[in-house]
Amino acid sequence: MLKFILRRTLLMIPQLILLSLIIFMLAKAMPGDAVTGAFMGNPDATPEQIEKIREKFGLNDPWYQQYGRWIGKAVKGDFGQSYTHQQPVTTLIAGRVENTVLLSLFTAIMIYLMAIPLGIIAGRWTDTWADKMIVTYNYFAFATPLFVFALLMLFLFSFVLGWFPIGGTVDIRIETGTWDYVVSRAKHLFLPVMSAALIGTYATIQYLRNDIIDQKIKDYVKTARAKGVPEGKVYTRHILRNSLLPIAAFLGYEITGLIGGSIFIESIFSYQGLGQLFLQSINLRDFTVVTALVMIFGTATIVGTLLSDIILSIVDPRIRIE
Amino acid sequence: MKNPVLDEKQLIAQEKLNNPSFMRTIWREIKHDKMALGSLILLIIILSTAYLSPLFIDNAALTRVNFLNTWKPPSATNWLGTDDGGRDVFGQLMLGARNSFTIGIAVTVLAGLIGLTYGLISGFYGGAIDNVMMRILEFLMVLPTLMFIIVFVTIVPNYNVFTFILIMSAFYWFGKARLIRSRALQERELDYINASKTLGTPSWKIMFFEMFPNLSSLVIVNMTLSLAGNIGIETGLTFLGFGLPAGTPSLGTLISFARNPDIVQNKWWVWLPAALLILVMMLCINYVGQAVKRASDARQRLA
Amino acid sequence: MSLLTVNDLKVHYPIRGGFFRKVVDHVRAVDGISFELQPGETYGLVGESGCGKTTSGRALIGLNKATSGEMLFEGKDLAKMGKAERRGYTKDIQMIFQDPYSSLNGRKNVLSIIAEPLRNFERLSPKEELLRVQELVARVGLNPESIYKYPHQFSGGQRQRIGIARALALNPKLIIADEPVSALDVSVQAQVLNFMQEIQKEFDLTYLFISHDLGIIQHMCDRIGIMYRGRFVEEGTASEIYNNPQHVYTKRLIAAIPEMNPEKRFEKMHLRQSINEEYQTEYNNYFDKDGRMFDLKKISDSHSVAMQ
Repeated sequence: MLKFILRRTLLMIPQLILLSLIIFMLAKAMPGDAVTGAFMGNPDATPEQIEKIREKFGLNDPWYQQYGRWIGKAVKGDFGQSYTHQQPVTTLIAGRVENTVLLSLFTAIMIYLMAIPLGIIAGRWTDTWADKMIVTYNYFAFATPLFVFALLMLFLFSFVLGWFPIGGTVDIRIETGTWDYVVSRAKHLFLPVMSAALIGTYATIQYLRNDIIDQKIKDYVKTARAKGVPEGKVYTRHILRNSLLPIAAFLGYEITGLIGGSIFIESIFSYQGLGQLFLQSINLRDFTVVTALVMIFGTATIVGTLLSDIILSIVDPRIRIE
Repeated sequence: MKNPVLDEKQLIAQEKLNNPSFMRTIWREIKHDKMALGSLILLIIILSTAYLSPLFIDNAALTRVNFLNTWKPPSATNWLGTDDGGRDVFGQLMLGARNSFTIGIAVTVLAGLIGLTYGLISGFYGGAIDNVMMRILEFLMVLPTLMFIIVFVTIVPNYNVFTFILIMSAFYWFGKARLIRSRALQERELDYINASKTLGTPSWKIMFFEMFPNLSSLVIVNMTLSLAGNIGIETGLTFLGFGLPAGTPSLGTLISFARNPDIVQNKWWVWLPAALLILVMMLCINYVGQAVKRASDARQRLA
Repeated sequence: MSLLTVNDLKVHYPIRGGFFRKVVDHVRAVDGISFELQPGETYGLVGESGCGKTTSGRALIGLNKATSGEMLFEGKDLAKMGKAERRGYTKDIQMIFQDPYSSLNGRKNVLSIIAEPLRNFERLSPKEELLRVQELVARVGLNPESIYKYPHQFSGGQRQRIGIARALALNPKLIIADEPVSALDVSVQAQVLNFMQEIQKEFDLTYLFISHDLGIIQHMCDRIGIMYRGRFVEEGTASEIYNNPQHVYTKRLIAAIPEMNPEKRFEKMHLRQSINEEYQTEYNNYFDKDGRMFDLKKISDSHSVAMQ
């Protein structure tokens, strides 16, 4: 057990190194660097001046030295300077990270809140009208592209019905820390979270329904029934115990989807998060911010997958044998 | 035997009847599922309208900017109104559907080929080769795909439709490779593969001509379902502004007008039809895909 | 000169363990076997499941890698050959597989299945190929018109005949038959076995016949090697093995053949009991202190036993 966790964790190190190398190379391929950024506002700079500064920043060193410096700083949380915002990238990201974390967290919670009961109902009462409705809903959830669904939600609930704000993170007129502030945050969060969650339930419902149907005909369930265990307890004590545990582990795998989703959701709802920052930065060619964000999101997926693998190996010992 | 050549042909034809191909099974399955049949018909109508529309709509007029005619709501001349340049939205919708679908197919086929080859090689050889290839795949699968595509789209020089297809394909074969690999691993244990090895058949031939036909239904199912997904991703990227270049409008191009709140609310005819069309196409392709999936598994068949 | 000489063949699989997945031990699937095949004979490899008989066969045809030892085919060592050189011997050594269901590709018709080796080694026009395949199909007793059918349209026995036709296509000298009939109904087994004997004469074949069924081995084989835990315990002609078994393991195997005559059942039971006693008391004569078999020792020209 411990050996598996240790081995799996060690596997993460080459992954992180490889990720950072790829991102570093991409960063080199991106037009412009820290110096061009710094001189954006100063068209009068002579080539000699620029060259001097390039030398100072070490941009003429061999790539591995530059990579070493970059990664050394990144580990300490220093991703350099954003030229469009004229502030350290880390400060910029720190100001936004809370919004994205909140969005993803609530989305994940909503997904589980909806998907688990629906999956159980569909799996337990297969081929009833409830199951058929859930399967149909799930089919829509699978087929609908997130950005189309989010747009339609925004159009319907914010523009046509006017129930929710049309975008943003919070009403700027409200003072932070008040109750109204919390309410305004919640109002701004609700539609983005629901758009992502209603579509995001697909995998969990599908997994749960199939797994319960599979478990239902297993011998241990038949034994439980034969012993006279009441039907309700067959599910709570026996089937669900087996079917629900892996669900907890899938959270880590979902991170990739949530990150991809946050780019669309934040863009559509003008939500001030990292996904929106990423799009803005890439449009403004502010590549120091872009690299930092890709690095952060990449690390998040790697760590998330690691956590899921570990939880899953605890829950299901069979996958440990490799 | 009076005419041996004819006899051969008759024999072959008869055995074809006795052994319905996978395509026939799919067709039988679709015929028995009203929703799938309806989806298929609707899809064919949409696509043939889109692909045949150049016969009725002047393509040059579609790209011509006419400032006297901007933001016109739907009317008899412009069924779905006009956009910011006075161009006909319906015509652009058809053009976009055509482009989106074609690119969706191209990406699906290309990514499918990469994934198939990777998965077959990894599964066929197994052992150390499989181990290394799977470690690489595991790494690729944890990359934040969407962000990487956006970055690539921005920094690639001479960006055009083909580079876009290449970039997308490069990032959407991982799942397929893993799927094919796990089936290939099971398949390589079967004796017909061993038999081919002892008969002196080269490895690449065994992979593609012995093993692959046995995985083909899996591949077809996966390709159908990922076609829908790829169209969704392409339009999504175009919607964000990192998809098809400006010269090649996609359905996402029309929807991207909706990034302006005024257009969302007051000029719905520009973006809403495209959004609904994508939705309908996705649902149809997926419904057909589900029928194909059932056809591939004898236990699930309805027919 | 013998057709095939196997010298001290070993097939070991590493067992990995520990944190760095180092090789801790080996599974000794085949642990030093030696035997010879004379042209035209049928040599039987017998043993319980997991004794390494199939692994030996697969090593000979190249599906498994031999860890060490020699496999001299007409004097040339197959074990030392590179891929390309080895391919040259594919025509001479062929295999009949155990499972007639998985050994034929269900997606191909009989024509392409049987033509596969021809397409690899002989350049034939489609017409010539068709004729060859029809000839082979007819020879194995199937209707030549059925060459466009698919494997699932045939019965197990017919499928095994297709497998044999495929193995015969290149006119091999040696055929390794790995439990060729154990997946078939008993009623069909005899048909296929007799047919295999027929074609042996006709095509001048040498068989390495792998089976766990002592009845079949007795019926088919001229000489027999008894395997146990990756090693030979006894080797001899069929009559020597069946009438005069020396090793206690062989004795137990022979005694385990079901007796058809009810009157002799008691006799047989007593025989089994006495063999079991021998196994208990004289264990040390047959196995060394690690439970490993001794090397073979000749007790006559053709008969050898692994005894101390």
